[in-house]
This record gives sequence, C-alpha cells and structure tokens, in this order.
Amino acid sequence: MDIFANLALGFGVALTPFNLLMCLIGVLLGTLIGVLPGVGPVATIAMLLPITFNLNPIAALIMLAGIYYGAQYGGSTTAILVNLPGESSSVVTCLDGYQMARQGRAGPALATAALGSFFAGCIATLIVAMFAPPLAEVALKFGPAEYFSLMVLGLVAAVVLAHGSLLKAIAMVILGLLLGLIGTDVNSGVLRFAFGISELADGIGFVTVAMGMFGLAEIIANLEHQGTREVFTKKVTHLWPTKEDWKRIWAPILRGTFLGSALGILPGGGALLASFGAYTLEKKVSKYSREFGKGAIEGVAAPESANNAGAQTSFIPLLTLGIPSNAVMALMIGAMMIQGIAPGPQVMTERPQLFWGMIASMWVGNLMLVVLNLPLIGMWIKLLTVPYRILYPSILVFMAIGVFSLSNNPFDVLLMGLFGLLGYVCVKLECEPAPMILGFILGPLMEENLRRAMLLSRGDPLTFIQKPISAGFIIASVILLVIIALPQLRKKRAEVFVEEV
Amino acid sequence: MKIKGPKEFWAGLMFIAFGLFFLVWAVLNYQMGSAVRMGPAYFPSVLGGLLAVIGAFVLIDAFVEVGPKVPRFHFRPLIMILLGCVAFAYTLKPLGLVGATALLVFIGAFGGNEFKLREVAILYVVLVIFSVLVFVKGLTLPFPIWPAFME
Amino acid sequence: MRQFLACVVLLAAAGGAAAQAWPAKPIRLIAPYAAGGPIDISARLLAPKLQQALGQPVLVENRPGAGGNIGADFVAKSAPDGYTLVIGAIATHAINPWLFAAMPYDPIRDFRPVALIVQVPNVLVVNNELPARSVKDLIALAKARPGKLDFASGSTGSTGHLAGEMFKLMTGTYMVHIPYKGAAPAVTDLMAGRVHLMFDNLASALPNVKAGKVRALAVTTRQRSGFLPELPTLDEAGLKGFEMTTWWGVMAPAKTPDAVVQRLNAEIFKALELADVKERLRAMGSETPAVRTPQAFSAFVASELKTYGELVKRSGAKPD
Repeated sequence: MDIFANLALGFGVALTPFNLLMCLIGVLLGTLIGVLPGVGPVATIAMLLPITFNLNPIAALIMLAGIYYGAQYGGSTTAILVNLPGESSSVVTCLDGYQMARQGRAGPALATAALGSFFAGCIATLIVAMFAPPLAEVALKFGPAEYFSLMVLGLVAAVVLAHGSLLKAIAMVILGLLLGLIGTDVNSGVLRFAFGISELADGIGFVTVAMGMFGLAEIIANLEHQGTREVFTKKVTHLWPTKEDWKRIWAPILRGTFLGSALGILPGGGALLASFGAYTLEKKVSKYSREFGKGAIEGVAAPESANNAGAQTSFIPLLTLGIPSNAVMALMIGAMMIQGIAPGPQVMTERPQLFWGMIASMWVGNLMLVVLNLPLIGMWIKLLTVPYRILYPSILVFMAIGVFSLSNNPFDVLLMGLFGLLGYVCVKLECEPAPMILGFILGPLMEENLRRAMLLSRGDPLTFIQKPISAGFIIASVILLVIIALPQLRKKRAEVFVEEV
Repeated sequence: MKIKGPKEFWAGLMFIAFGLFFLVWAVLNYQMGSAVRMGPAYFPSVLGGLLAVIGAFVLIDAFVEVGPKVPRFHFRPLIMILLGCVAFAYTLKPLGLVGATALLVFIGAFGGNEFKLREVAILYVVLVIFSVLVFVKGLTLPFPIWPAFME
Repeated sequence: MRQFLACVVLLAAAGGAAAQAWPAKPIRLIAPYAAGGPIDISARLLAPKLQQALGQPVLVENRPGAGGNIGADFVAKSAPDGYTLVIGAIATHAINPWLFAAMPYDPIRDFRPVALIVQVPNVLVVNNELPARSVKDLIALAKARPGKLDFASGSTGSTGHLAGEMFKLMTGTYMVHIPYKGAAPAVTDLMAGRVHLMFDNLASALPNVKAGKVRALAVTTRQRSGFLPELPTLDEAGLKGFEMTTWWGVMAPAKTPDAVVQRLNAEIFKALELADVKERLRAMGSETPAVRTPQAFSAFVASELKTYGELVKRSGAKPD
C-alpha cells in the first residue's frame, strides 16, 4: 500500500538528527509554556517565527507543531496540579484532575493524562496519515447551519459538566454565552457591552476568564479554610495508576480518542468541543458517574485523550485545504507562507516530504513527550508538598505575568481580578464555572453562525432541520436534553431529604 | 415567605441581575433587526431575557426547597489577592518586573493567615530571578526588568 | 528679538544634536495586531535588519485590540522622539476612522508616515460552480438574480467587504454581504459553495486558485499582478478606476524630527531591498510599493482616508 511508502518517507525525514533535535526543542518548549499559565502556544510560536526564517521549512514546521502539542501536554499538568487551565481544552481536566490531586492522587492523574494523550496521539496520527484527504471533505460539509446545531449540542452537553443543580448550570451556560458576546459584533461591527473601554473591543480573552474563575477563585477559597501552614495535599499515595485504575481508564481513552479525532477535523470550535464532549459522554456511560467532579479518573482520561487526538487531527484541514482550525494553525499558515509554501491542497502532492515528514514527526513528538513527562511526574508531585503559603504567591506571579503578556496591557490583569471575584462568589453560591466557560467560548461562535445561517437562508429557520447533518445534531440535542432532565426531575424529591439530614 | 435556600436565593438574584442588565442594555443601545438580518441586540436580548427567567426559577426554588447557608465571605484573602494582581499590572511598566513582583508577592502573601517576612523575602528573590530568566530572557517578553527611573 | 533668535538657534542645535545621537536607546516597533498575522510578521521581518543598520535593538511589541486602534493610539500619544514607532495600516489609518464612533486619535494629525512597506492586491474569486467565467458574466448574473448572490468577507469594514460594496456601487447590482470572522472560514464556505464570491487578499487566495478550488476573475489593483499575470484588472474588465490594495507601513508620532524620519525611511528601504526580506514579503503577496518617500506616503494616506470615507458612507457599512 501507498501509505507505508509515504510513512517511510515521512519517518526518513522526521528521524534525521537535525529534525529530531528540532522536534525535541519544540516539545520541550511546548511543555514549558504549557505548564506556565497564561503564556500560550500562540504567543510563543509568534515570537519564534523570526527564528524559523533561517531554518528549512520542514524543520521549522516540525518545531512549531511540537510546541503546539507539547503545550497541550503541559497545559494539563497545571490544570491537574493547581486548577489552572491554560488552554480551553484543559478546562475539563481541572474538574476531576484537580480533585484527584487534592486527594493525593496527582500521580495517577498525570500519568493517565500522559498515557491517554500518547495513545490518542498515535491513533490520531495514523488517522491523519490514512484518511486526511477524504476527511478534509468533511470539513467542507460544515456550514453555518451545521456549526450552529453542533454548538447547541455542545451547550446541552455542557450542562452535564456540572454536578449540582441543573437549573443553575443552565444559567451559568447562558451567562457565559452573554459574557462571550462582549466586544465587536462580527456582523455589524458594532461594539457591544464595551462601556467605552477600548480594550474590550476584541472581547475578553479566554485565558483571562479561566485564570480568574478557576485559578484566582481557587486560591482565595483555599486561603480561607486552611491554615497556610498546611501542605497542599495531605498525602501522596502512589505515582502510578493502580490495577483498578487501568481497568477503569482504557475504555474512556478509546472513546475519547475517537470522539476527539472526529471533532478535531472541524475547523471553528470542533477541537474545542472534543474534550467537553468526551467528558460528558463518560459521565453518561460510566458506572462511576456519581464520582465525576469528585476525582473520577475517567474524567481525566477521556478529555485528555480527546483533546490530544483533536490537536492532531486539526492538522487535517490545514494540510489539505489550507484552512486553519484555530489560532495556532493560523500561525502555522503564517510560518508556511514565510517559507514560501502556500498552504493548501497542493502541499501533499507538491511537497510530500513536508507533508509526511510532519505527520511522522507528530508521532515522534508524542513519543518524546511521554518519555519526557512520565519521569517529570515525580517532580511535579514534589512540588505539591511545598507549603501552600509558598506555592500560592508563586502561582500568582506566573498568572499575572502570563495574563499581562496576552496583549501587554494591565487591563487584562484587572479583568482577571474581576473574574476572580465572580469566581469566588460562584464558589460560595455553588454555581460551577465549567459550564460558564464553555458557554463563554461558544457564545460568539454560536451567534455568528446563527446569524450567518439566517442570512444565507434569507431568514428561514427551517434551514437547521433541512440540512441532514444539522438536523442530526438538533435531534441529538433534544435526546440528550431529555436524558439529562429526566433523572434530575425524579431525583429532586429524594435530594431534599438527603440534604436535610 | 421564608427563604429556605439562601444559596439559591442569592444565585437567583445574581442571574436575574445579569440577565436584565444585558437585556436592557442591548435593547437600549443596539438595533434589534429582524430574524433574517439580526441586529446586534437580537441575540444578547434573547439570552438576557432567558437568563432572567431561569434566575427567577432559581429564586422560586429558594422559597420551596431547603438548602444550605451561604458560607461566610473571607475578605482578607479576597482583597489582598485582587489588590496584589492589580498593583502588579499597573506598576509593571513603571517599576519593572523587579518592582511589580515585589508588590504582588508581598501583598499577596499578606492575604494568607501567616506572614513571615524572611520567608516571603526569599520567595520574592527566587521568583524574580526565575521570572526574569524564563520570561524576559527566555521567552523574550517585552517587560522592563528594573524600574524606569533606574535605567 | 536677539534672545528669540538665540533660542531658535539653541533649539535647532539641540534638535540637531538629538537627531545626531538618534538612536541612543532601543526602539519599540508597535504591531497593533496579534502576533503571527501578516502585519506582525512583516514587523518581525524588518526589526532585525533595522537593528543591524541602526546599531540599537529594535523590539517588536504587539498591542492588539479595537481593530488596531489601541496600538495606533498608543503611538499617537507617545513622545515624538523616534523611539516608538507603529505599523500603521489601511484599517487604522483609512477605514477605522469612518467605522468607529469614537476614534481616540486623528489618523492624519497625530502621525508622521515614514515608509510604506507592503501593498497586497485583492482578488475577485468565485465558487467553481458559479456560471461566471469573467467579470462581465458575473455582472450579468448579478443583474439577472438581484439579491440572490452572496459575497463573503473576512469582517465588516475589511477591504474585502468594501471592495464588494464598491463593486456593487459601480455595477449597480445588489448582492448580500456575509461577514465572517477572518478570511479562512469565508474561504471554506466559498469552496463549499455556500457563498458565491469573495474579494480575498492575494496571498490567501493564490494557493486555492492555483489548485483549482476556486476561480479567480480579476485583481483589484490598477496594474496586473506578477503572481497571476494572465488575470485582468477590474479596471480593464470595465470597472474604470477600480483600485484597492491592502497596505501597511511604518509610522511615527507627529512632530518626530525630520532627520529621524528620513534616516528611518532610508534604512527601511535598504532593508526592503535585501534579497531575503524581499522574498518573504513576496510570499505574502506583496510587490515592492511605488510610494517611497515619507512625503509621498503622507499624501497616499490622506488620499486613502478620503476614498474610504466616501465608500464607507455610501456602502452603509457604518455601525450603529
């Protein structure tokens, strides 16, 4: 088969010493910035672009790709250890990963994240290698109507993220949607809810919200109930997942990988929904669903696999259509253009070395990451034994620097503070931030696609049902909504008694 | 009427406030448009209205179901942490990383239950050196290191 | 009088000395957009070359936000000493002033244009299924189906949007504008046939045109483009006087000393002539601009501002 010849060509390129070195530099740097909250792959790749001018195109792209998926790895580390999601995809990892860390199970959580990601990365790379061109067509099938319906499904799923009141979770989703609308309206160019603050013109950054709602709120809440003399986690039991853990995670990893690979292909929010979707799916199918949100290992395994799989397959639209599916991919296009390569359908045929070399390097990079990260787990866990009074000012400094660097503007840090306040209030009122964050990310995308779909259909709402893919998502949303709502309604009476006790 | 679930009560009020705010602000300031050509006010006012309605349900819940009390707010960590962040942000350019980090670390540490000057001072020095090496030297972020008047 | 003269002489000497000494410290080049975009990339391309020529570090700093207004405003309000520069663009200096209700700066009064560095043409591309092989066909089609054709753009008020509006005005046709967030999703929908046409910038359109995923009908510049020499200009295709390019260049705060501006201009053009810079800018679809002196750049900005003012008004693209 062709594919083996192609992969052989690819590995021939990826395994040259220089390219291996570039890959290593990429994943190391990626892990570093992933671990540092706030400093994301976008800023790093942008800053490194000038350096890549002098590299050959393949080496440059291998390094940049390494930064991208290295950052995904690193991002989950901070999410698990200190509840700081630096990437939108690691928000879900916070939910159970951080709880595991609090229970002294940071080791298994980190190992699960690393191994799940590695497995997902391998499978997804294989998918990219085998099916990239036909899958690219899928991306073209998604228009505004399809995206809108997919997002509706995503939001319904978001409600499952919460383990408390259903009503409050829905409210938090809507609040997130509304906050996401702050900034310039895509359709009319009107500034909305900016109150004359020009920094709000481009909206509020995800990192700012996540750092505030998760990071700051958590620090403030921690400071109040524990004496800071205490160590953060009581006792670190073991580094490695137990036999029982293994039994619990293999299926979630598989499911997460496939869901992630599928959604990753979609530009415009697909990869993002992957981790949320995988979590929701597990919470619904798992027999341990009561443990979700309280440190269920499946809640780490599934989203981590999904997000890494999605990170790999999001290269499909880039490499085959020249369509960037997120900000990092847009930068990759910039990097390719600077190298005189026009990203698009002809890359695969005109520059097979580049195309297959990159795919092979993804696999190599994933292997490097797992080899690098597993030994690091021990070190990360040591970090948690540092007294909290030392740990939290350090986290504060990294957060502040990271958020400031987003646009070199003090305003973002101020906003982070405001969201910290909101997050703290939400902790007190038992309103969970995760559904809000998903709403926040999806809000503008949803509105944009809704309005665009309505413009294109000249105002006919049936467009969402007439298109088969879109109709499928709408039906799935309705079914999911029923599944979520029914037990909640039934449970309600029962819960009253439980809480009175 | 007795408030049985204080958490639900305040959460409901918060949602209603946010919802009405977005609804009213959108309707007053932006155009509604039509379903074909939705104006900038369309989506936010629909969502704002929805949020207020759900907030009202949450509020009703507060009078029906018994729920836990709202835990006490601790203002010391809250104020100190937020103050530290803001101080850092607005002094980074004039005072450099060295000055701004000092403010953040000391004010932030003051938010904890325990404040040992020596320990915080050592932590500060370590953090500054680390930040300068990683962020300014390594990642080449355009931050000044020293206060502007010392350069 | 004598005192006054002495003052003038002193000031002139001081100014001269300052210019002589310039640059005595690092220069900040503000890119008013997010890192990694074409404007940021060209800034980062230029910076090391200027650094070499001027003997002082040239640091690129991204200050994105408000369509570039935040970064531009920052420089407008900086000291006019030649140590803070900005990449001013068609958005910040010709279009935004007409789109934004409250502009924090005056695009003419607050700046001194130094050197135009990039000019990229837009290309009129249509979906492959559309039965229009030429601009003439397209006009006929648009007239036969008023309000049925959709044109996409990367955002409201972008050059792609305004080019479409100009096309509508000049041909007397009606097409529906479908704004996107960035050119990439717009191109996706164009390829898939959900929208019919688009005025895309050359660099992003070129690979898809070459791969036959979309069909190019014309370029928006007066001269044909070296990248697609067989493609007519809209001017040739019957829309007399149609001209539109996306451009950006280095600008300084108003009142920056002449000597500094001249020196910068000279060094920037020397850098633009370097083979590697030239090649990389070409990869972005830019051909070396014809506007070369600071004076000519000033005049160019003023005329662009005027052109877009009329266009924005007539197209109804204005928000609120």
